Amino acid sequence: MENKIKIHVVKYRWLWMCVSALFLLPGIITMIYASITTPSHLPLKVGIDYTGGTVLQYMTDKKVDNDSLTKIRAELVKSGVENPSLQIINVNDGVTNTSNSDIIAVRTKFIAEDDTATADKITSVIKSAYDNSELISTTSVGPTLGKELFKNSLIALSLACLGIIVYLSFRFQFDFAIAAILALIHDVLFVVGIFAMLCYFLNVQIDGLFITALLTVIGFSVHDTIVVFDRIRENLRYYAKKMSFGEIVDASVNQTLARSINTSVTTLITLFALYFFGGVTTKDFILAMILGIAIGTYSSIFFASMLIDFLRDKQNQPKRA
Amino acid sequence: MKNKILLFWIIVALVIFSVAMIIIKPTKLGLDLVGGSRLVLEAQTTPTIAKITPEMMDSLQFAIENRVNKLGVAETVVQRQGEKRLVVEIPAVKDLNQAKKFLGETAELAFKKELKEGSGQWIDTGLTGNDLNRANLSTSSSGQWVVDLEFNDKGTKKFAELTQQLVGKPMAIFFNGELTSAPVIREAIIGGRAQISGGDNGFAYEEAKEMVDLLNAGALPVPAKIIEENTVGATLGADSIEKSKFAGMVGLGIVMLFMIGYYRLPGLIADVALVIYSVILFMLFKMVPVTLTLAGIAGFILSIGMAVDANILIFERTKEELRAGRTLFTAINAGFDRAFTSIFDSNMTTIITCVILYCLGTSIVKGFALTLALGVMVSMFSAITVTKNFMHLIFGTGDLKYPFLFGLKKDEIGTAYAASETKREKAKFGVLD
Repeated sequence: MENKIKIHVVKYRWLWMCVSALFLLPGIITMIYASITTPSHLPLKVGIDYTGGTVLQYMTDKKVDNDSLTKIRAELVKSGVENPSLQIINVNDGVTNTSNSDIIAVRTKFIAEDDTATADKITSVIKSAYDNSELISTTSVGPTLGKELFKNSLIALSLACLGIIVYLSFRFQFDFAIAAILALIHDVLFVVGIFAMLCYFLNVQIDGLFITALLTVIGFSVHDTIVVFDRIRENLRYYAKKMSFGEIVDASVNQTLARSINTSVTTLITLFALYFFGGVTTKDFILAMILGIAIGTYSSIFFASMLIDFLRDKQNQPKRA
Repeated sequence: MKNKILLFWIIVALVIFSVAMIIIKPTKLGLDLVGGSRLVLEAQTTPTIAKITPEMMDSLQFAIENRVNKLGVAETVVQRQGEKRLVVEIPAVKDLNQAKKFLGETAELAFKKELKEGSGQWIDTGLTGNDLNRANLSTSSSGQWVVDLEFNDKGTKKFAELTQQLVGKPMAIFFNGELTSAPVIREAIIGGRAQISGGDNGFAYEEAKEMVDLLNAGALPVPAKIIEENTVGATLGADSIEKSKFAGMVGLGIVMLFMIGYYRLPGLIADVALVIYSVILFMLFKMVPVTLTLAGIAGFILSIGMAVDANILIFERTKEELRAGRTLFTAINAGFDRAFTSIFDSNMTTIITCVILYCLGTSIVKGFALTLALGVMVSMFSAITVTKNFMHLIFGTGDLKYPFLFGLKKDEIGTAYAASETKREKAKFGVLD
């Protein structure tokens, strides 16, 4: 068993902590910076799912450039549309549509049901810029509903974490549960951090699907961590007397290494296929999952296992003294 | 061995059943894939209605259902959500703005009388749209569109009393708070029939038709507002479904090749199990039935990832046991039994997350959680029953003559246990040293 150790998790504990810090810090700094400087005082730019508002999407038959977008925005303001925000969404080429086309998304404040004039105004402005454009989707969320969705999403996230802690404490031990949850927070923070940067620099907005993606990342992160922990649990049963806890952790990580990498590779293959060939609407959702699965694999190998050893060390120190 | 052959035929029967079901049953596709509108209506409290009761919601749902049916579109859905909300799903409606207005109209018909003669102030008489039996569209003698009203028994009595009171005076008809007409009553009307003309200008056909439809569908017991709307054009939906299908095929294809390349014969077995897995899962989607949305398809594809993971865990473990010197049969069994705890624990946490998502999430999230949870459960069955059965049937109890079938080299295979293992011991396994 000893001769197959390729990765030293316990020995280079501080190195892996620094690597994790390097992964997380840019995102955290962006989040803090965005919370202070942006008018909304939020670390991420949230879509209408959480703020309320209306988004109209138009498919054009030509590529849209930024200049014409600026023109359209000015036109919209002139015709009395309050605070419109526009975005170009690139359509995947090649699979079903061979023509050059783009999607223009117009976001404004919530358009109520009796106010058909505003939507018509926007449509006519877009049509005057691109004759053959077509309204392909409308999404509207009332302002109070948005807040409620946001609250519910946070509750769902917290409850999911709680459920996982309880389950792991029951099946493993409490410190395993804590290490798994810390690894999970590590992964979620990484994904949220990257999206904070995307929001800040590339004007990406997160929507209801983002929470779904985060929950999937949570599921996968724990899934990965458990496979390693399961091996530690098993090896502890047989080797607890012969080897130190740290050695067992190292051995277990190396035994599960091939599996961790292969699983992550196969899942990433499907996700990349979805990212490059799938629909436009789920692109950010898939990206969040790709990031989450990549970091989840890293954290299950280096971070969670290092952490469980670290926690055990801390527990044992007073006893030795 | 007999049991294994029996199990094999059970699996074959299940696959045949699933394929038949997939062919027979239609797939339920969500509005984001076929195009259509999803509206969320919320009942509004008013000064007179302080609290929305479940009974009010029942009659609101009834009234909205009636109206949705009047739109003449197939496969509409009206569902309760929470305490005061209704979800309305309308596929492919032509004029959505018109439909939205139509759904939200309260359809309040009220007969009012003047407070003081000539004052122009109108007060309620207690006679409303609730006293109607039905409304009909017809034309007046002068050729204008009018709405014929037919009162029910109670309404007939009330109307007769009221008209008797108001002989020689005007009686106003208000529709949704707007004065429609205020004819002067010439004599008491006891037949229980009345006619609304559109005042001096008369009704346009659409106006009269909408009024008749609204009156017949019943008034909304409480006002309702649209607080969320999601409309997807049919072209975008069709595009999404094509792309997701293509992406799914490409992803699955590459994963299958990877499995064969890395795990060889077991990889091929896993691929067959994966196809069986997809067929069974798809059958379940149709049987439950699960409405497939974009998020649902994402959940499905993700669950394929987890199904592959179960196989990878098992094969890695089997290879390890082979390297440690176990015979083929015990190595396969050990691979499954040892991998089972990780598969079980990791899948349980996924299911816990899915349950929480399903209970608290929005409808998009719900679809995702349901497909993922179903997928994870079927994947446990597929990896543990289907793959294991095929492995045993193909490899039998003999020695591993060709290690490359597992992607191993001959000198990697240990022989530590080969001599000492008895048949009894083959079913059990201990420490790997």
